[in-house]
Amino acid sequence: MYQSTNIHLTSDIKLSDVIINNPYLLLLLEHFGIEVPLQDRTLKQVCLQYGINIELFLTFANLYNGVNYTPLSPLTIQDTPTIINYLKNSHRYYADEIYPNILGVIHQMAKVNDFKEMALVPRFFVDYFNDVTEHLEYENKTVYPYILHLIERIENKEKDDPSIAYSVVEYQEHHNDIEEKLNDLKSLLIKYLPPKNDQTIRRKLLFLLSELEYDLNIHSKIEELILIPLVVAMELHLKKLR
Amino acid sequence: MRKPVCMVLMEPSPLITAGLLAIFKTSGQNFFFVQASSFDEVEIQLLKNKVELVILNPSYTQNFTKTFVALKNQYRNIKWVGLQYCFYDPKMLANFDAIITISDSPETMVSTILRVVREENLQDAGSTQDVLTDRETDVLKLLAKGLTNKEIADKLHISTNTVITHRKNLSQKTGIKSVSGLTIFAIVQKLVSIDDFNE
Repeated sequence: MYQSTNIHLTSDIKLSDVIINNPYLLLLLEHFGIEVPLQDRTLKQVCLQYGINIELFLTFANLYNGVNYTPLSPLTIQDTPTIINYLKNSHRYYADEIYPNILGVIHQMAKVNDFKEMALVPRFFVDYFNDVTEHLEYENKTVYPYILHLIERIENKEKDDPSIAYSVVEYQEHHNDIEEKLNDLKSLLIKYLPPKNDQTIRRKLLFLLSELEYDLNIHSKIEELILIPLVVAMELHLKKLR
Repeated sequence: MRKPVCMVLMEPSPLITAGLLAIFKTSGQNFFFVQASSFDEVEIQLLKNKVELVILNPSYTQNFTKTFVALKNQYRNIKWVGLQYCFYDPKMLANFDAIITISDSPETMVSTILRVVREENLQDAGSTQDVLTDRETDVLKLLAKGLTNKEIADKLHISTNTVITHRKNLSQKTGIKSVSGLTIFAIVQKLVSIDDFNE
């Protein structure tokens, strides 16, 4: 994982400097839909241009730098659609780009390293990839629409609908071992799988896994520390109206 | 080649010093040593070099017990070997990890030093090499064959909680948590045969 960071970001820093310091934030820009090049614009200017709440941006960007940032004004229900959009974009990056890339490299590695043990790795990863896809679909098709529905009801001042038995607490339980298996694969590659003409490709694979791990780690922090508390507050608010 | 055993030697007699160094040189061991004539100098060496061991004449500690004990407590992974050639109070000698006397044969001196240094290394190996215990291996094998915690517990005549503890330790030692990951590990380590999995 990229380690030169821990810089506390504020709104008047040039965004280009932030990216030069920690290129992993390119993924943050992508998930927000911000395009590069950035010229000399500050974080604040870029956020204005794209209509993003600067406090939300700073909260996410600081997470990428390993800094816990407390927004000057707390995030609210109005930020939720942006957060969901951000998470959906990162799902696209996982499902359409990085996981397929990794799978491709694993197949390449299994071709040069023809040890029998190595043949198990693509199978391990395909199973894992299926689990991940299932989880992402579940979020896209169940969790996010549910949250958007809550927002709609709060904005229209509708009363709580007891027929919707779902709660975001359920979602928290769903939300676990995606990072675990990624770690397992890293351990196998770094510590145990016997080598055979595969050092270059193994390194490529490990770099890709680190890239994914970095973004995935922030992704779950956003869900656990930011999105879920917001939704829990919304659910409570609706219950009180009942 | 094994990495050198680095030590500090603190002995007032040039004759004894020269004799000890000659014994080390011909021992065939990779010993590296620096000399010191006070505890201050010893400490400088401890900070500077990767010292594992200090050999010193117990007379240095005679009026400096406090300094010596403080230094020992501060540098806990350093071993202290007394070099004895006259009678000292046994209480004083008890502060040392080992004693060599000038009547020892060269082989005894060398083996005493190696024993003291390796004791430390053995403890290291236990914590960092993470060798699986027999029981953990048993659990791993059954896990790889697709058994549940309950089934493993029944088969090994232990409680489910014990199985869970073994699994925790397995994951901690290997860095692998999922059953599918542990299965690949078990196959790589040849604990189970890969042919069991080619359905």
